[in-house]
Amino acid sequence: MIKIKDLEKIYRTEEVETIALNKLSMEVKEGEFVAVMGPSGCGKSTLLNILGLLDDSDNGSFIFNGVEVGKFNERKRAEMRKHNIGFVFQSFNLIDELTVYENVELPLIYTGVKTADRKAKVEAVLDKMKIMHRRNHYPQQLSGGQQQRVAVARAVVNNPKLILADEPTGNLDSSNGNEVMELLTDLNEQGTTIIMVTHSEHDARFSHRIIRMLDGQTVTENILV
Amino acid sequence: MIRNYFKIAFRNLWRNKGFSVINILGLAIGIATCLIIMLFVNNELSYDRFNKKADRMVRVYFQGDVQGEKMKESTVMPPVAQTMKADFPEVEEATRIRDYGTPKLVYGNKSFKEDAFAFVDSNFFQVFTLPLLQGDARTALIEPNTVVITKAVAHKYFGNGDAMGKIISFKDGKNSPCKVTGVIEKVPVNSHFHFELFASMASYPESKEPTWMYSNFYTYLVLQKGFDYKKLEAKLPNLVEKYIGPQMFKTMGITMAEFKEKGNVLSFHLQPLTDIHLHSDFASDLSQPGDIRYAYIFSAIALFMLLIACINFMNLSTAAASKRAREVGIRKVLGSGKRELIQQFLLETIVITAIALVLALVLIYLALPVFNNLATQNLTLNFTDHPLLIPVLLLLVVVVGFLAGSYPAFYLSSFKPVEVLKSKIKSGRKSIGLRSGLVVFQFFISILLIVCTLVVYNQLFYIQHKKLGYDKDKVLILQDTWMLGKNVEAFRQSVKNDPRVVSVSGSGYVPAGKSNSNNFFVSPGENSTQMIKTLRYDVDENYISTLGIQLLEGRNFSRQFGTDSSSVILNEAAATAFGWKQGAVGKTISRLNNEGRKEVYSVVGVIRDFHFRSLHERISPLVMAFSPDQGNLIVKLRSNADIPGLTTLLKKRWTEAGSEEPLSYSFLDERYNNTYQAEQKMGLILGIFAGLTIFVACLGLFGLAKFTAAQRTKEIGIRKVLGASVAQVTGMLSKEFLVLVLISCILAFPVAWWAMNKWLQDFAYRAAISWWIFALAGIVIVLIAVFTVSFQAIKAAMANPVKSLRTE
Ligand SMILES: Nc1ncnc2c1ncn2[C@@H]1O[C@H](COP(=O)(O)OP(=O)(O)OP(=O)(O)O)[C@@H](O)[C@H]1O
Ligand SMILES: [Mg+2]
Repeated sequence: MIKIKDLEKIYRTEEVETIALNKLSMEVKEGEFVAVMGPSGCGKSTLLNILGLLDDSDNGSFIFNGVEVGKFNERKRAEMRKHNIGFVFQSFNLIDELTVYENVELPLIYTGVKTADRKAKVEAVLDKMKIMHRRNHYPQQLSGGQQQRVAVARAVVNNPKLILADEPTGNLDSSNGNEVMELLTDLNEQGTTIIMVTHSEHDARFSHRIIRMLDGQTVTENILV
Repeated sequence: MIRNYFKIAFRNLWRNKGFSVINILGLAIGIATCLIIMLFVNNELSYDRFNKKADRMVRVYFQGDVQGEKMKESTVMPPVAQTMKADFPEVEEATRIRDYGTPKLVYGNKSFKEDAFAFVDSNFFQVFTLPLLQGDARTALIEPNTVVITKAVAHKYFGNGDAMGKIISFKDGKNSPCKVTGVIEKVPVNSHFHFELFASMASYPESKEPTWMYSNFYTYLVLQKGFDYKKLEAKLPNLVEKYIGPQMFKTMGITMAEFKEKGNVLSFHLQPLTDIHLHSDFASDLSQPGDIRYAYIFSAIALFMLLIACINFMNLSTAAASKRAREVGIRKVLGSGKRELIQQFLLETIVITAIALVLALVLIYLALPVFNNLATQNLTLNFTDHPLLIPVLLLLVVVVGFLAGSYPAFYLSSFKPVEVLKSKIKSGRKSIGLRSGLVVFQFFISILLIVCTLVVYNQLFYIQHKKLGYDKDKVLILQDTWMLGKNVEAFRQSVKNDPRVVSVSGSGYVPAGKSNSNNFFVSPGENSTQMIKTLRYDVDENYISTLGIQLLEGRNFSRQFGTDSSSVILNEAAATAFGWKQGAVGKTISRLNNEGRKEVYSVVGVIRDFHFRSLHERISPLVMAFSPDQGNLIVKLRSNADIPGLTTLLKKRWTEAGSEEPLSYSFLDERYNNTYQAEQKMGLILGIFAGLTIFVACLGLFGLAKFTAAQRTKEIGIRKVLGASVAQVTGMLSKEFLVLVLISCILAFPVAWWAMNKWLQDFAYRAAISWWIFALAGIVIVLIAVFTVSFQAIKAAMANPVKSLRTE
């Protein structure tokens, strides 16, 4: 599903040049659950942003579903992204001004799903995430774990083929964290590919494979399954 | 502490450069406009107040309603001044001005046509506060043939030499030469008269005539201290009975009682000196009066401009409150009370206002000449002429500072430190309602001004393109051709023979601009007692064709009919007034002439109504009589005529025909346009103010949009991650501002419609306020708002979402 080769990403500021990704190559197959680990600043988020087509790379090739997307322009990337990829962030990134229901509905609006269909889909996914009773609350009124469940709901409401999660449990206590990990595992079992960045060995054990990074490069891979 | 506040204030200004520029620029424009208008209004209100006795001075005026003809004269009869002083003990002084037109004066080999020459009573300089630099105010004008002049006139005739005792004579020799017995600096700009030469009334025989039958004298009274002029006014009907009555009986053969029985009214009134400039509506006066309505409208605009600028400040400060929340929290933790914080924030506003004021003074310096030019004013901003200016400016800074700063100050200082420091405070949510309200107010004013401007221009367009019933294009008016005397006929022939000329008509009556005017009371038929008030035009046989007036029935005047001296042509309005909607030709009209003999005229033609008055007035009955006069020559030119060539030639012919005055001429279309100068100015000034308010309001909108975009960076980032396009994000950010602008439109339209409908009532002929004006105003303001807001919105929407989300 994902095949990247010699990917480079260099951040240039006035004084310094940071090589965030250094000729990184990797491959992820459809249906896999991959965890990415490594010390802070080694380029995990950068990698995830590029995989999620939020950012572009400076060099190297990136084939997504058999299509070279590395040189896609902004509009094409957005198109590709909204139909295929869901995101879960460490800081939830819910919109404070919108209710739980409206937050989850948003991706459907942007992909042009009709109102009637939207209602069914949002309710189904809220149900699945056990957050239905909170549908009319605002994010500030929820606990961290609940917020992250809403974020996961929002990520999967469009049935994306790929979910990218950047430290999804980073702001949660262990029981809430486990809940989210179980949700992700469920989704994976239903066929969604998941790539998750984490600092927690415990969380990483939910995945099939751990990619360890250092200084913008993959160093080892542990296959768990 | 104060130093610390100042430090923080300047640091904040610097750190938020964008917002500071918006605030300062907006406030500066607001203050500058406000100050200019204050100067204008102050000047308007200051008229004639330089006179020490201004508060107890009145002018006598005369009103009448004779045979349905209403008149209101700013001048009264020669004996009124003396009589009132003699008859009423409360009149301390009475003095008169007789405007003497434009005499030509000579001194040695210097000769000037003076247009500010008056005869005045000998006590004039004791009544009006115009100090004499040389000469004695009490005695200067007692002797006949004396004159007091301004310094400028003295310099014009005598150079740097002493003016006193010099003799100036009249070119025409009708008046005796005058000796200069006094020199004044000049008449202040804010005086309702602007004479340069004041000759003694003793040299003007008419001033001593005991007649109460005509009025030419501006007459001013000084009343006893504390005496209410209304009480004196109540006694004035006696004057009419006592003095006008007998003379009327002698000359017209009717008693005052009979005269009144017919519904006629004559009366004297008093007008306070300080009301003359702003509250006069006389047909003619010593200067063009101001209009109190403009003073009101402008004052309102000044206030609105200032408010709009203050609102920008309030909106931006409350919107940016979250940025200051931490500072407030820390200060409170460190022991600052609410009061100190309020002081601090107010101080910041006052610093900003003070900076804005300095900028405003620069703007005024640049803009005042433009405003003077537009509004035909002569305003200056200097601190010596206006000693109150500095305290006023300081007060303005404090008032504006408080107005703009108090809400943000109270709002910011009310943050609770624990909340602020524990969590990121939800910025300014509470104040969004207020902010929206204020934005609506700003745009309400802007839209109001746009609609008003458009209506004024629409009416001006209507005036330009109205079918007038005569053709004003390519018509040259050669003025005052009667001055050529017996040479006028030859001159007229030479004009007529020019190949560039189509036709020439001689008449003192012109449908636009300065014209003769002659009321004509006539009855239909020969025996009717019904009197109809018409206007009489004395014209020749070429008048109708030269002006392209359409003859509907009958024929034009002609020299071939020996009897045409008793023929008349009616306009439609006159025919209708006489009751002859059809078939007026062949009917007769009659009137009693001054000697009491009956004159009968037969109607030979009817012309289509044409606008011989401004569009402010309905077309009234008009009677044209065949009585060629050479008051002006009205010349119709060929459409391709070489006009400069023609006028040069005519000027030459004019001098050859023996005139000493230069030829004065004008074009009919220009005269027509000049009739509406007041409206044109109004349109232009409104337009400028509309532009300024929109600009300042948009500055604020720009700032708010910038702020909202900044505040919503995270949200925009999330939306983009979820697949929102740039267009969708831009639309989302712009929408809420557009809603506010639309609400403003809905509120402003009815108010604008009401106000402009009132304004249009002044015109008998007016363009309808049609829907497109509102549509256009709406579209213009929406486009401007979209442009302002979307600039920020697009910028925010284009930003890389990865970066936005990193701002966490
Ligand atoms: N916008 C940027 N400008 C400059 N340097 C950047 C930028 N974003 C990231 N970097 C640098 O790139 C490197 C990789 O950053 P990245 O965010 O991918 O690290 P990470 O592995 O996700 O770290 P963490 O575990 O702390 O989240 C870091 O050295 C970081 O400082
Ligand atoms: Mg990271």
